[in-house]
Amino acid sequence: MTQSSSTSTGNLNRALLFFLIGTLLGLALGVGLHTAISGGFNTTYWMDIPSWMLGLLLGTLGFFYGLLGYYGIVRGLVFQVVGTLAGILLVSAIRAALGLSFFDPAKFGFHEGAWVFGALVGAVAFLAGVGALTDWWKWAKGEATSDHHEDVPGWRKYFGVSLDHKVIGIQYTVTSLLLLSVGGLFALLFRVELAESGLQFLTVLTPDQTAALNLYNSLMSLHGIVMIISILLGIAGVINYLVPLLIGAADMAFPRLNAFSFWVAVPAAVILLGSLGLGGFDTGWTGYAPLATRAPIGIQMFYLGVWVAGWSSILGALNLIATVLRMRARGMTAFRMPILVWASVATSIISLTATQLIGLSFQMSMFERLFGMPFFNVAKGGNPILFQHLFWFYSHPAVYVFVLPGLGVISELLPVFARKPLFGYRWVALSSIGIALVGFLVWAHHMFTSGMNEYLRVPFMYSTLLVAVPTGVKFFSWVATLWKGKIEAPTPMLFVLGGIVVFLMGGLSGPPNATVSTDLHLHDTYFIVGHFHSTMFGGYVFPFFAAIYYWFPKATGKRLDETLGKWHFWLMTPSFLVLTLFMMRVGLLGMRRRIADYDPMLGFDPWHLAMTIAAFLIALSVVIFFYNMVKTLRSPVTETGNVWNSRSPEWQVPSPMPAHNYEKEFEVVGEPYDYGLPGSVYVKM
Amino acid sequence: MQNVRHYIIIVVLIAVVSVLTYWGLDALELMPVAAAAQAGPIDWLMDLQVKLIAFFFALIVVPLVYSLVVFRRKPGESGDGEHIEGSTSLEVTWTFIPLVIVVVLGYIGADNLAQVKRVDPQAVEIKVVGYQWGWRFEYPEGFVSNTLYLPVDKQVVLKMESSDVLHSFWVPEFRVKHDLVPGRVETYRITPTLIGDYKVRCAEICGSSHAYMESPIKVISQAEYQTWVNEQAAIAAAEAAAALANPDPKRGEKLYNEAGCKACHSIDGSKGVGPTWKGLWGSQVPLADGTTVLADEAYITESIRNPSAKVHQGFSPNAMPSFAYLKDGQIADLIEFIKTLK
Amino acid sequence: MTHAHTSQHAASHGSKDALFQGLVIFVLLAFLTAVEFFIAITNASVLLLSVAALLKVGMVVYYYMHIYKLLEEDDEHDHSSFAWKVATNRLGLWLFLLSDAFVFGGMFVARFNLLGFTRPHLNQELGLIVTSALLISSFFMNRGETQMALGDRKGFLISTSITFLLGLAFLLGVVFVEWPEAIHEGLTVDGSAAGGIFFLMTGMHAFHVLTGLIFLLVILRNGWLGLYSPERHWAVEAAAVYWHFVDVVWIFYYPALYLIGKAL
Ligand code: HEA
Ligand code: HEA
Ligand code: HEC
Ligand code: CUA
Ligand SMILES: [Cu+2]
Repeated sequence: MTQSSSTSTGNLNRALLFFLIGTLLGLALGVGLHTAISGGFNTTYWMDIPSWMLGLLLGTLGFFYGLLGYYGIVRGLVFQVVGTLAGILLVSAIRAALGLSFFDPAKFGFHEGAWVFGALVGAVAFLAGVGALTDWWKWAKGEATSDHHEDVPGWRKYFGVSLDHKVIGIQYTVTSLLLLSVGGLFALLFRVELAESGLQFLTVLTPDQTAALNLYNSLMSLHGIVMIISILLGIAGVINYLVPLLIGAADMAFPRLNAFSFWVAVPAAVILLGSLGLGGFDTGWTGYAPLATRAPIGIQMFYLGVWVAGWSSILGALNLIATVLRMRARGMTAFRMPILVWASVATSIISLTATQLIGLSFQMSMFERLFGMPFFNVAKGGNPILFQHLFWFYSHPAVYVFVLPGLGVISELLPVFARKPLFGYRWVALSSIGIALVGFLVWAHHMFTSGMNEYLRVPFMYSTLLVAVPTGVKFFSWVATLWKGKIEAPTPMLFVLGGIVVFLMGGLSGPPNATVSTDLHLHDTYFIVGHFHSTMFGGYVFPFFAAIYYWFPKATGKRLDETLGKWHFWLMTPSFLVLTLFMMRVGLLGMRRRIADYDPMLGFDPWHLAMTIAAFLIALSVVIFFYNMVKTLRSPVTETGNVWNSRSPEWQVPSPMPAHNYEKEFEVVGEPYDYGLPGSVYVKM
Repeated sequence: MQNVRHYIIIVVLIAVVSVLTYWGLDALELMPVAAAAQAGPIDWLMDLQVKLIAFFFALIVVPLVYSLVVFRRKPGESGDGEHIEGSTSLEVTWTFIPLVIVVVLGYIGADNLAQVKRVDPQAVEIKVVGYQWGWRFEYPEGFVSNTLYLPVDKQVVLKMESSDVLHSFWVPEFRVKHDLVPGRVETYRITPTLIGDYKVRCAEICGSSHAYMESPIKVISQAEYQTWVNEQAAIAAAEAAAALANPDPKRGEKLYNEAGCKACHSIDGSKGVGPTWKGLWGSQVPLADGTTVLADEAYITESIRNPSAKVHQGFSPNAMPSFAYLKDGQIADLIEFIKTLK
Repeated sequence: MTHAHTSQHAASHGSKDALFQGLVIFVLLAFLTAVEFFIAITNASVLLLSVAALLKVGMVVYYYMHIYKLLEEDDEHDHSSFAWKVATNRLGLWLFLLSDAFVFGGMFVARFNLLGFTRPHLNQELGLIVTSALLISSFFMNRGETQMALGDRKGFLISTSITFLLGLAFLLGVVFVEWPEAIHEGLTVDGSAAGGIFFLMTGMHAFHVLTGLIFLLVILRNGWLGLYSPERHWAVEAAAVYWHFVDVVWIFYYPALYLIGKAL
């Protein structure tokens, strides 16, 4: 034990050193290139964003190399870099051969098509490099592959392709937390700018005002999309780790596809962040045409990154549905499934189908830029509103993708900590499906002011309001679950309760947006921003933390520190309430979304300053959480029993979960949440 | 007995908390001043929504907090809570009642929208053009203004066009907002009711300077409005006549500042979104296709009316919107102004 | 064999009839295609064209793609058995097709949003020819799959090769004959929304044909090497179902692009 930990600290030091070297090298390379291209050096070059991106890329590569050697993700990233270059050079060579221009120093060197194709090739190369395609290649050649996966022992398995759903679940979760930090960091940056009216912070980082405004827009847009991708990965993490355990399966139905789904998200994230190095984009996460047609090349990386990440969602959902339909333990009928499984299925129905349409809308916009196909250009018979319809057909249901698993976690944990059955189990289960299905019919409520056909407004108002009904069923059932319980409130329960209250605030701020006439005022204001931060924090962020605190002992055999957990909660919750309530406040009074600067005459300065401070306190609470994880993992104290005294099958075996889950398939013989009924059991091991 | 006591306390608490929440929110003055007839129904509905929010918030949070306090596990206590699996009649109740509320709310919403959209056939019509990044208001009397003057208590119908990307016309005090879609004419109706100064603020992200796409609005009395319109129309007519006869760089400079050229063209040689005007006159302009063209009257006129016809090398072909609305006289003024920029 | 009534066996039961059934379905499909064409050049009724397309799709999905196999009872509980795996794979494949159908559906809707009931000016006869190529290929695909289930490896190789060649002909026809002709007629990629959507729809479809062809090459090679047996040829079934799916898409796209409405 001590031996391996000392070598791993050795590795860590080396990794940090390599990170530093890589970053400096990349930065120097970028600055050198800039100097060469513009034929002269200027000290402001040291602040070039593209050079910094290059530095961070090489730094990350160095970090992982220092940690792992040439293995797994390192090979993937190397392949991705080489693949990207190869793709770029190929397109440039073809363009050169055709006598077309292929080099433009003003636009990041290469033609837009070269960048897009390069990034795509890079993503595929990553997958080949990391080894996510190996088995399929063998299948195509008719060779058999082993069904039994044996992972490299120790922590290295998390950095390479593993077919074990538990490993993949943790890979997803950690990646999600990383992206949460990156997205949060972007938010902190632009929040500093917003702390006061006028431009004062971003202008320091950039040469002139236009660049500062563009940087604001890029940070804001990337914040939105990076957070959303982080949510999607976080959900996939929770689902992957838990659903097979909850239904008593040895793994997911398609383990290779599962690994592929995770690994495809990694190059997607790299591409997405790479957009910042290519000029960013200024459209917000919605990428509306025709502004998108005029945005810098960065927008293509945004489109492509989301498109590739979309495959992660789609294939993950496919896998989940097949797993639940085919691999439940004996006796687990539909209405004996844990509620989180219901929620996961509901979510997956949306991800499986609707995701294709955001992909399509982005693809069309991408093609409009690359090939001039005028889908959204009115002058040539296109229709900009069409983009919005296609985009929201996914992106509205997506918000239910974000919350349904979170609400599932809430429903899953409440009975454990209230020591009572989940009130109205069937209703809660079916309400998830109800929300998912009605959610397909409401998308145009994002377009009430867009100039779409007027007669669509009222039907979409009705369908949108309808979602309040199944959501209400969940809330009432939760309250009734607590009623007459014997309630305990350790950290996971605190996050559950916080989630309920915050999501309630977010949900209740939905109907004013849904009734058309009020939305005419509210649309594109900070009221909306407040609405969706509340729903996403309450419906996703709080439950996600609850799940981590709750299942951490299952995954690692160690329990997170309670005191630090309480600090995390009691720091995050009030700060968040300040953030979201003040957002709604200024929004109602006339604060528009997506602006880098606001009219000082409006008198919003003090409100914004408070929001910025709140944002930093939230960040601090997240830092405490990270510290807690590191500290716990390094501590020798273990906790292998049924920590929360739960009836759920995964807690009936020792922690951490054995490599092949349950030794023998268990049998379901009772109801999942019969707390308080003496002698009843859920599963027979 | 115990149960009944719990229920009574809860009901009382819910009532108190809803009232206090509503009262607190109401005291905060949630909305900016209302300056248009359309704000009436909207504020009324918003107020109804706030009442609903206050009530449902209390309905959930009160029993939640109450349970946490009353039913928490006392130190040393063991065992589970009561085994209550659920209740179909309760579930049906709390599905049905919100359903009814939602349907009624939908009905109210539709009715409310109809009130907001009410059309006055006598409305004054003004053309609004949004562009990156500014607003231009073209009055039917034949002049253009950068400030939107509106008569009080009279419905105006804005015919809105965009020359580049999506924008959105929003005056918080008027409540209503509506997008401008390139290639289309969107209609926006408003009846200002309160004399005063406001701003139209673009509410749809439209690129770098989206934050600054604001223009002043003045709501004035109907008599003042009539005077102002007549004045402007007369000035415009006089200018047009004068300009054709003898172009004047002063008026050209005014146009440069007010028509929006300033946003992209510098007059001191620095590079902006568009090429600088310093030294433009009489120079050989390099074009994107590699040829050059002499910057004379014909070229400049074409560049203004149809900017993408000949594109200055290194600049984006569709950045500049067409300013075809400028009259010959105004273009002559502009050219005179450009000539002075040696 | 405990799993006596798995779908593999069900398919090979009475499979003399299966070959015949495939032929009957093909004749009906061909007939409906001719009817569609006739409708198009006479009154171009949207309703009739939709009915014809739906009938065709129904037949392909049921008789060629065997959608009913999804519902076949299976009480297999051993997750490492072949029968269980095939049933699970089949479910996975259909879920994938469902997902993919949403992209094609999205483009279909976009086409009507942009063009309404007008259609791009295209050569209808040429459309009919490429459509026929794809249709006939579906017949041979079905035949190949059935032959494999019957243990006729040579027949399988021949039928699948014909499928491949017809598919290739379709692909080349679209890319090297139809596209240049459309461009020549003024329907360019960047000229109008009609051009954009035409190239997007046919392009995405052609891309799927291309992947289908690669899939066919794989099963041809492995079939040649004798890696499949009447009991175990999941890859063949998968390739066939995928191939028919690509055909199903075209059954909607062909009238949507070539037949419905007034030519621009
Ligand atoms: C997790 C994410 C999430 C969730 C769950 C929701 C839930 C809801 N959202 Fe939200 N929404 C977003 C995320 C989310 N939203 C995002 C990200 C945007 C902005 C996107 C962008 O533009 O960038 C947005 C924007 C948005 C708009 C567009 C606003 C605009 O741009 O103009 C609208 C309009 O109708 C809307 C409505 C609703 C409604 C009615 C619900 C309902 O589902 C809420 C239902 C819940 C309740 C109502 C509370 C509990 C119910 C009861 C206690 C029962 C009784 C209640 C009643 C009878 C009223 N949302
Ligand atoms: C899950 C989704 C999610 C989450 C969690 C957040 C979290 C936050 N969001 Fe945001 N937000 C969105 C989703 C989300 N957001 C979306 C979709 C948009 C719309 C974008 C658009 O309009 O297109 C948006 C827009 C948005 C705006 C509007 C911008 C504008 O319109 O101009 C603002 C403004 O204040 C804001 C603020 C914040 C803040 C302060 C946080 C804080 O909670 C952040 C707290 C910080 C952290 C969580 C990071 C903490 C970690 C570290 C600091 C450690 C760093 C170290 C390491 C790397 C190890 N967000
Ligand atoms: C949104 C930005 C923008 C605005 C506003 C704008 N222009 Fe331009 N203009 C450009 C760009 C970019 C070019 C160069 C590309 C081109 O030639 O089309 C240009 C080119 C020109 C040219 C040709 C000059 C040369 O060097 O080739 C003239 C003349 C001109 N504009 C006049 C005007 C006038 C007059 C106005 C206002 C009434 C105006 N522009 C407003 C962006 C703008
Ligand atoms: Cu115009 Cu924002
Ligand atoms: Cu929505």
